[in-house]
Amino acid sequence: MIHIFDGAMGTILQQKGLLPAGYCPELLNVDKPEEITAVHQQYIDAGSTIIETNTFGGSPLKLAHYNLSDRAREINIAAVKAARAAAGDKVKIAGSMGPTGKFIKPLGDLDFEDAFENYKVQAAALAEGGADYILIETSIDIQEMRAALLAAKEVTSLPIICQLSYSEDGRTVTGTDPQTAAITLDAMGADIIGINCSLGPEQLVPIVKILSENTEKPISVQPNAGLPQLVNGKTTFPMGPEDFGKWAPKLIQAGATYIGGCCGTSPAHIAAIKDALKDFEEPKFKPLRRRLMVASRSKTVVIDKELPTVLIGERINPTGRKKLAAEIKDGSFLSVKKEAMDQVKAGAKLLDVNMGVGGIDQAQAMKKAITEISQLTDAPLVIDTSDPEVLEAGLRAYPGRALINSVSAEKERLRTFIPLAIKYGAAILCLPLTDDGIPKTAEERIEVMNIIIDEAKKAGLKDGDFLLDGLVMTVAADQDACNHVLNTLRLYREKYGYPATMGLSNISFGLPNRPLINSTFFSMCLAAGLDAPIMNPYDEQMQNALMASMALLGKDPNGRDFSTNEKNLAVPKKAAVAKHEELTPVEAIKQAVISGDADSMPELLERALAENIDPNELTEKALTAAMNEIGVDFGAGRVFLPQVLLSAEAMRSAFNILKERFPAQEGEGKGTVVLATVKGDVHDLGKNIVGALLENSGFNLIDLGKDVPAEEIVATAIKNDADIVGLCALMTTTMTEIDEVIRQLKESGNTSKVIVGGAALTQDYADEAGADYYAQDAVIALNIANDIISK
Amino acid sequence: MAIFNAPFFEIDKEETKRYAGLRKSEFDEKLIDEACDLARLIIHPTGNWELYDYDARTQTVASTPPFILEGESIKKHLMGCSKVVMLSATVGQEIEDKITSLFKEGKYALSLILDAAATAAVEQNADLMEKAIFEKVSRQGYKMKWRFSPGYGDWPIEQQPEMMRTAKADVINVHLTESMMLEPRKSITAIIGLYLIEGTCPDETKKHNCEACDKTNCLARQNTCM
Repeated sequence: MIHIFDGAMGTILQQKGLLPAGYCPELLNVDKPEEITAVHQQYIDAGSTIIETNTFGGSPLKLAHYNLSDRAREINIAAVKAARAAAGDKVKIAGSMGPTGKFIKPLGDLDFEDAFENYKVQAAALAEGGADYILIETSIDIQEMRAALLAAKEVTSLPIICQLSYSEDGRTVTGTDPQTAAITLDAMGADIIGINCSLGPEQLVPIVKILSENTEKPISVQPNAGLPQLVNGKTTFPMGPEDFGKWAPKLIQAGATYIGGCCGTSPAHIAAIKDALKDFEEPKFKPLRRRLMVASRSKTVVIDKELPTVLIGERINPTGRKKLAAEIKDGSFLSVKKEAMDQVKAGAKLLDVNMGVGGIDQAQAMKKAITEISQLTDAPLVIDTSDPEVLEAGLRAYPGRALINSVSAEKERLRTFIPLAIKYGAAILCLPLTDDGIPKTAEERIEVMNIIIDEAKKAGLKDGDFLLDGLVMTVAADQDACNHVLNTLRLYREKYGYPATMGLSNISFGLPNRPLINSTFFSMCLAAGLDAPIMNPYDEQMQNALMASMALLGKDPNGRDFSTNEKNLAVPKKAAVAKHEELTPVEAIKQAVISGDADSMPELLERALAENIDPNELTEKALTAAMNEIGVDFGAGRVFLPQVLLSAEAMRSAFNILKERFPAQEGEGKGTVVLATVKGDVHDLGKNIVGALLENSGFNLIDLGKDVPAEEIVATAIKNDADIVGLCALMTTTMTEIDEVIRQLKESGNTSKVIVGGAALTQDYADEAGADYYAQDAVIALNIANDIISK
Repeated sequence: MAIFNAPFFEIDKEETKRYAGLRKSEFDEKLIDEACDLARLIIHPTGNWELYDYDARTQTVASTPPFILEGESIKKHLMGCSKVVMLSATVGQEIEDKITSLFKEGKYALSLILDAAATAAVEQNADLMEKAIFEKVSRQGYKMKWRFSPGYGDWPIEQQPEMMRTAKADVINVHLTESMMLEPRKSITAIIGLYLIEGTCPDETKKHNCEACDKTNCLARQNTCM
């Protein structure tokens, strides 16, 4: 059945002159309820079967703008009453809850619990007033939607409609795509899932389609009347009722069954929808096959027998890892974050998160880990704990649909974990384990699995919520351990068709050459029906086994990925190494500097020195010559600054070795340079670059750092009998300090040459300040310094 | 007021290269990756924005007390705007310290590229904030000008304290030194003009602001200004 919502409310109230500046629109529910009832009546007359209360901004947090927070209950109840006065008992009332206008932590500064409490107040009042639905709408943040949905479910059993707003790129502002929204909200128990606002009907058709392909819950859609425009000085939405109505059948065809309008729509638009759908036959949709899907805020991952294997990274687990445990304990989490990033890079599609460190508040640690990792990667997360409190902390914080690791047939586990899975819409990893221990054979494991799945389904979980663990035991202790696992995997697939997982490395415990056993076992399991191994994604042998198995099992069609992977290509790239050997030692060093190859420097210098080449010759003909060449290339725009710096690093490496071998030569540099960023200025990267080039070209460098007072610069120049003073200032507000340094230098009678540079400086400014030279970039500064010394 | 801390699943490598002065040249991608990954671990991205009415004729931001913008370039830039967003954003101090320590260790190139990645990250945070702001204001029919900051054109940098005040940069722990520098260094303040225009017109925020800058020899200057 198709349901028709109403259209915009605020516009009509404005047209009627009911909203003077600074007046809270929701207060009209109390002050002039008859006016609100009149608008509702217009929509009912036009054909609405569900009308929305005038409570979009009626949550305490929004009402706070008008100092009306403490009247939230009164305002929301009055709004439902005003709607009921028009609706009677034929038309349904949806109690509207709009966004708070703030982002929830970590995206913003609003605490999840504060958002939750906020919506609890509003949803309770709407229910108390007699609404038929709770409508959470126009949300741009899935986390805010989750807070509102959890709040509404806590205080009422009314059906809940969840509508997000999408931008033109098909995602919410905070990155959620419609597939992710559909699976996350469906699993959390939203009754109707939809979209409103932001875009016109045309742009919403594809989004409706994605929603309907990912959930069997009814879909609602309330577009704007096109994209806003200014006409005769007023903001208007250009799409007229007739055009708007024409889109209604297309939106229904795409999968919506609840349809209405948002900004810029009027009773005429609603009448047009009704008219357009008059003789329209509702399409029939095929039932969806419920596959296991988990999601982060912005990405959904499907685990299914027909799809490529999904790697679950196991590395965020402090068991047996002292450094990680210590960091979790002291709250720094740097290694946790790094493991998250690196595992995703190594190919992990899901990340297991375990905070099992003794003596800490694990719930707090889990919440923090989940929050931080979610800001860093879009891989969906697996919450790995045996403690229901830790589990809930993680699930509550997670802006998506998580996987719980794990639910066994132990009574306490079933009792505490399954309700949390349902409340937060998580999938469960099922472990065939009972209070009596581990079942050995495949048949026994299936029996235990039956218990878990029965319990879970009784409580409300469905197909698509399960990932089954094969339970790996040690082959050294039981010669049939591998066979049991393979049989279990086959039976899982045959009996349930759900995807399977397992941690693998246990199989080889106590055996030599574990990597070989592990990777062989892995290949066998993949063939028997393993879909999502929990493993170390950095393990190359396992990755190789996976790659080959994908090609063999037809999950990498024609072995395309396998064939193009560099690892499998026969000829290793050794050309670069050979090249050095063809050159003379001096030329090879010069080339290494030019190509910024610091790593080869020790070897190349050894070779040169072994051939008794004079260090001075090396400095001059290899190092300095290379730097000159780079300088020319840089000036011509053939190479760029980072490359120059790599060359400087190679020079540095060379000089360090030469200094070590020939300590006598130290201090016999080209000349002394005092370098500083002037007082008041904290930018020193540019100055540091100049310093690096000078120092690694043989100058004796005294770098005073940043924010250096004129007196210190002058005193240092005098004390060290500097040949050159280099001054840097980045900004117009600080470059005047350069004038001061030069003035004091001249006053002191010091004769060092002054080179100035920095983003805001110009040749003219340098001239006026009395500087000897202006250097536009670091290479020019080096050239000038060389010129000064050679004069 | 709205605080926004962008998630960072990646840092824009192309922008990082541009800020590092690497145009279309060949360069070791590994080093860029290393810098971008390292940056993600140690940035603390956050931003705040404030919305005000604006009188284009008198160049006045209707804050309390009002903020009168100085200079012809900002006047021209905000011509026709009736509201402005004052925005501040930062990626925090930790990355700044790392840039310094890496350079001291002799990892010059990595330090430079990390510095560029930090710049790219601040801008990325601000871009996402812009997207969120657009979502909000476009419903009222507003279009957005691109971000403009003190120091662009003839807009005096001495107005930075007023920017800090109206953008409420202190809520994200960004402060100003006596010489008008933002601390942490990888921070920005900017103004975004909002205007209503008859009919539809293209989104202007995509235009890059290189052309407003008179530093024509800048490493990162885009050759393809629209």
